[in-house]
Formats: sequence, structure tokens, C-alpha cells
Amino acid sequence: MILTAYRVEMSKIFSKWRTFIGFLALAVLIPIVVVGMSMQGEQFFKFATAGLKDNFEFTGHLLNGYAVAYIIFSSLYLHVPFLITLVAGEVLAGEATAGTYRLLLTRPLSRATMVNAKYLSTLTYTFLLVVCMAGLSLGLGIGFLGTGEVFIIRQQITILQADDLMWRFGYAYAWAFLAMATVSSVAFLCSSLVENAIGPIMTTMSIIIVMTIISAIDVPLFDYVRPLFFTNHMNSWKFFFDDPVRWDRIVPSFITLMLHIVGCFAAAHLIIRRKDILT
Amino acid sequence: MSLPVIEIRDLHKRYGSFNAVNGLNLTVQQGDVYGFLGPNGAGKSTTIRMMMSLIAPSSGSIKIFGMDLNTHRTKILARIGAIVERPDFYNYLTARRNLELLGRLSDADVSRPAIMKVLGMVGLDTRSESKVKTFSHGMKQRLGIAQALLHSPDLIVLDEPTTGLDPHGMVDMRDLILELAADHKKTIFLSSHILPEVELTANRMVIINRGQAIIEGAVQDLLNAGRMKVTIETPDAALALSIINASQLAQHVHSSTDAAVIMMLEKSEIPHVAAMLSSAGVGLHGIVPVRSLEEYFISLTREAA
Repeated sequence: MILTAYRVEMSKIFSKWRTFIGFLALAVLIPIVVVGMSMQGEQFFKFATAGLKDNFEFTGHLLNGYAVAYIIFSSLYLHVPFLITLVAGEVLAGEATAGTYRLLLTRPLSRATMVNAKYLSTLTYTFLLVVCMAGLSLGLGIGFLGTGEVFIIRQQITILQADDLMWRFGYAYAWAFLAMATVSSVAFLCSSLVENAIGPIMTTMSIIIVMTIISAIDVPLFDYVRPLFFTNHMNSWKFFFDDPVRWDRIVPSFITLMLHIVGCFAAAHLIIRRKDILT
Repeated sequence: MSLPVIEIRDLHKRYGSFNAVNGLNLTVQQGDVYGFLGPNGAGKSTTIRMMMSLIAPSSGSIKIFGMDLNTHRTKILARIGAIVERPDFYNYLTARRNLELLGRLSDADVSRPAIMKVLGMVGLDTRSESKVKTFSHGMKQRLGIAQALLHSPDLIVLDEPTTGLDPHGMVDMRDLILELAADHKKTIFLSSHILPEVELTANRMVIINRGQAIIEGAVQDLLNAGRMKVTIETPDAALALSIINASQLAQHVHSSTDAAVIMMLEKSEIPHVAAMLSSAGVGLHGIVPVRSLEEYFISLTREAA
């Protein structure tokens, strides 16, 4: 029954125009960035390395598909969650708003099955959006600009060879899915609480914004709460591009994100199973 | 007698200090078209929502097909088709696609011919590929009936099914209910404000008010019990009135006009009045009992209030 319910949910999600906003945004934005970088990317890299030219000599093919994919990943990472909440925030509350809970919950399937199917379909949508982002960034980047080394300037300068990059991107996109699944789970929980589809979308966006801002403000008071914010751990994908990979930073972040996912899903489950359907 | 299809015992639903349903009892037998009547706020929709497990009772029991709703929810729902209040659908999908998705969840035959058959039953087969957002309220109501019938349920729960239908649609709906009961042996639980609908379709009924059953029984028995308003249409109203006033029935005269005398009579008294007036030479155009279920309903709920 869960499979049937899942298929029905997927059919519903992909019958809505709103679902395609995320894919459309990526399909427009990523090619623009790739084309722009292929035309004027050299200037971008000159600017980025300007402060280092006195001490280092840069040779080789700095403007390449991997580098562009890395830049796109960094840039879109905080924006994709907003696209995800458009769908995830509506999954449960949308049924309440439309009055279709009455149709759905008078079918011979348990509420638990219904919630599981809806959650799985939300995760599937999230997964497809991340795959779309990965496919477009790497596919177009490599297609237009070929492969090459990536140098990363953070606390230290890391230069990663072309043949050492694809697996790192693999992990990074897997992390992106985990992070976006966390966002989806928060939106899913918000969606179970209210009966207006706009509410959970706005609430999830607000949570992300507030947490991101608090995480960015370097005040000692916030040091205690910062590790609890899932937004603070979403950026841990960057540790896959350290050499060696910073598993000591990745594992705690993984646990934190997983706790958020499990907690939000369990809470949504409990709420829906006990909810009186009055709409 | 076979097991009741619906058996509700001492059902309560409380919202804070407000008792939406307050100790409701009712029994629906197989093959019944069961009218479920009550004024606004009487607890009809709350009861139906509890029967469909959309809301949890505060206390009491609901057994459907002899099974407890708490413990056999999915088995029970597999055998029920329902419209609960407004007929809301996925507006971005076509009528056929809505039925296809909902039918899959009910393990129904969702082949195109099967869906077109139920859409044909409710007169929507020509609009099967139209998105529901283009439908009028009446069309959504018809689609609601279609989704309730798709998986060929044994029990059909209809909550105000004629709301929003035009007169033609209301007649169609009534005929469909009678057909489902007579030809397909379905049990139908019909909540309605259109009281003549219940009078014309239901064999048994309950009237509820403030969450409690006021009266339950066979529709005809309930209608035939007690006094009803009878209009005696005659060109000799003055003569008729004087004859009645001289009889033992004088106290039952309700009012009179130039063309009619209106009395409150028991059904058994009507032939006697007719014979008395005829033998006195009063021309009669008709003797019309005007007590409808509506009047009965109003008098009962007024008494209860």
C-alpha cells in the first residue's frame, strides 16, 4: 500500500506547476553562470587570485568545469532550500487548505502510511532537485570548459587535481541531499502543524534566514546555540574539498542533521496521526 | 436479522466544554436508506467525520459491518464510499485523473472504462478530461458521488449530496440513491437538509439535535404518527366550518379561509371528516394532508430546544 500511496503522491507533486519552479530556476540560472564564466571567467579568477600573485605563480587551466561547478555549488547552496520549501511546505498543509484531507483519509490506508508516502515523495523531489543541480553544474561546466585543477582558498589554500575531484563532488552532492532533506523535514513538520499552505513555506524560510543570520554573527553568546542550528551544519560539504577530508567535522554535522531529520519526521508523524481533520 | 451495518453507541465528541455530539445512539441495517437529519450545528457532520475516522470520538463506540472502527479502520473504510461535506478535489487534475488516483488508494478498478462508467452515472462523462478547477459546485458534487461509488462500496455515506445541484440534478441524485439501494443493494447513510429528499428516498431516519437523537424509526411510521395539518379544499368553506364546529372535531380546527378549512387531524380521522362533509352536501375539491417531514422536523427540534 505504501508503494501505491507513494506513486499517487508523486503523481500529485509532478502535476503541479509549483513543482517545476525549482527545476526551471536551476535550468535558467546554471547555464547563465556557465556561459558567463566561459566568456569572462578569466577576469573572475584574476580578481580572486589578485592578493596571492605576489607570493604564488598560478599556472595551468584554472577556469574549468570543476571550478565552475564548485562556485555554483557555493552560490546556490543557500538558495536551493527556498525552492525546496515551496513543495515540502505544501505537502501536508496543501491537503488541509484544499479540503482534500477528507478525500485522502477516508481511503483504506492508515495515516502512518499516508505520512510515510508523503514524506518519501518529498525526499524524492529533494533528491531530484539536487541531481538536477549536480547534473547541470558538472555537465555544462565540463562540457563548456573541460576539466582541470581546483584551488580552494579558505583558512589554507588547497589545490585539488582533476582526477581527485569527482569523488569529492559525489560526496558533496550526497551531503547536499542530506542538508536539503533536513530543510524538507523542517518544512514537512511545519506543514503538519497548520492548515494553510503559505504558512509552512514562510515559516521554514524564516527559520533558515534567522538561523543563518545568527550563525554568521560572531558573538560569544551565540557560540552555545550555533552548533544546534541545522543551517550551521549544511555548509559542512566544504570539508570534502579539504585534503585530507575533515571527517572530524563532517561526522558531528552528519549526526546533527540526521537528528533534525528524524526528529522532524517523528513529530510530523505524531501530529498527523492524532490530528482531528476539521477542514 | 443480519448484523447492523452501522451501530453507534453512546457517542460523544467534546471540544472543551462544548458537546458537539452528546451520547448519540443509532443503528443502520443492511439495505437501509437511512436519513440523518438535524438543524445546523446539531452534530451531523461531526458524527459523519467520526464514522469516517477523520476525528476521534471523546468516548463511545462506532461499529461498522460489525467491526470496531478503532481496531479495523482500513478494513471498514475499504467498504465505504463517502462524501464528507464540501466536494473538494485536486483542482489542478482532471476529473478522470482525480478518480484514478483516489481509486488506486481504494484498490478500485481504475481502468478508463471503469472510470468512465461512474462518470457516466453522474453525468460527467463528457467532462472527464476537464480540470476540476473549471467545475461548478454542482459538478464537483457529482464528481464526489462518482468517487464514492468507484470502488463499489457496500455502504455509501452521503453528507448533503444535493447541495449545489440544480432541480434536475436533485432529481437525478434522488433516482441514483434509489437505484443504488434497490438494484445494487447498497446501504445508504444520507445526511440532508433537503427534507423532502429524505422523505422520498429514506426508509428509516433519525433526527438529531444538540448532538443527541430525538427520534429514530421508519420514515412512514414517524410521519403517520400524531396529528398532521390537513387542508380541506371546498367552495363551501363556511358551511363546512359550521358542520365541523358542531361535531366532536371542533377543537381541531386550525384556521379557515373562503376556500378551505385547515384542521389538525390524525390520519385515521380523515375518512370520517370526508364522509361527514359529503353527507352534509359540502362539495369537496380535495383533502390534502400537508404535514411534511419538514414540519415534523421543525416541531421536534423546537420542542427539544
